[in-house]
Amino acid sequence: METYDIVIIGAGPAGMTAAIYAVRANMKTLLLDKLSPGGQIINTESIENYTGVGAVNGAELAMKMFEHTQELGVVFDYKTVLSVEDQGTLKVVRCEEDDAVYSTRTVLIATGASPRRLGVPGEDNWAGAGLSWCAICDGAQYKGKDVVVIGGGNSAVEESLYLAGIVNKLTLVVRSRLSADNCVCDKLRAMPNVSIYGRTDVLSFIGQSRLEGVRVRDAESGEERIIACDGVFEYIGLEPVSAPFASLGILDARGCIPVNEDMKTAVDGIYAAGDITAKKLRQVITACSDGAIAANAASKYIESLCK
Amino acid sequence: MIAEITTAAFDALDKKGACVLEFYSKTCGPCKMLAFVLKDIAKAQPDLPIYTVDFNENPELKERFAVKGFPTLLFLKDGAEKSRLEGLKQKPAVLKEIEGITA
Repeated sequence: METYDIVIIGAGPAGMTAAIYAVRANMKTLLLDKLSPGGQIINTESIENYTGVGAVNGAELAMKMFEHTQELGVVFDYKTVLSVEDQGTLKVVRCEEDDAVYSTRTVLIATGASPRRLGVPGEDNWAGAGLSWCAICDGAQYKGKDVVVIGGGNSAVEESLYLAGIVNKLTLVVRSRLSADNCVCDKLRAMPNVSIYGRTDVLSFIGQSRLEGVRVRDAESGEERIIACDGVFEYIGLEPVSAPFASLGILDARGCIPVNEDMKTAVDGIYAAGDITAKKLRQVITACSDGAIAANAASKYIESLCK
Repeated sequence: MIAEITTAAFDALDKKGACVLEFYSKTCGPCKMLAFVLKDIAKAQPDLPIYTVDFNENPELKERFAVKGFPTLLFLKDGAEKSRLEGLKQKPAVLKEIEGITA
């Protein structure tokens, strides 16, 4: 079995940036992702805070990043990683497809995060059939109809702005208060077809043959009501995609991976970057930064092994 | 082989054999990434027709196949739908459905 210098798990902005830095450091590099390259940004209509590019579509930025990795000769493959085993100076990465196994000196975990679910009654019944986590994918079917968006962070407000341009009426349900950037909150409040319910808990999703509404409760008065709608979009945060790495003992209580300033985990030769790490600010630009630091540190680590 | 197709062009096709229909939207990020996966598949299987259909420009074809969102992949054999995948899917998952119409 050939041995890689670095196997990068996850081809979002962190993983792709790490791959660019790794091949430029002459590391034998393998970039894996279970889906196509891009990560969460492919679901983002417009990214407006990535320095130097103005407003850019998430998928287009992802494609540019991937093309950059390919110009440099990064080897990419579609693989779902099941586990990483620490064997000291070598690590073993096991994958679902074809029972593939890779040997590598270092591993970079950049698997990111996936949308968190509310876990209320009716959610499983309507998931994918009226209840969605991707406005860009499913918003078009609600043209002229009424939708509810759940959440108060940047994702909820930005996707609401996108949806409000399509739908008849949009109701944003927020558990506490809007926490998104003021500029997008102001834009949303100015939309004539948007209502915002603050301090409101979602109790259940209701409907007979189709999703018909959301039952909510005012957190202050305790009053319950049903918001009638044709579709619902949930944006209530993210869960780290870290289950395959639990056996390494590197996860914190939330399932994130704490790292040091070199993006090194508690295990020598294993690094983490991007949204999966334990940190406060999760942005494309911070993910790229993490990836660059991690690849550089991994390169230095391999050099230290050869001394 | 990947080709863009309209409702009228689809109706005029000889539907014998296997083909894949992808409903997409120009503004949809996952569609762009799925196009990347399909391009990869087309390289390995150049004889398999993969037709891309603009969801917004072809409402009749969309309704005929009851396509609700995008991206949606339909796997057809002799013009009849055998299976479908909704949303961005892994390349192995797409290949598995292709096997179902080409075997």
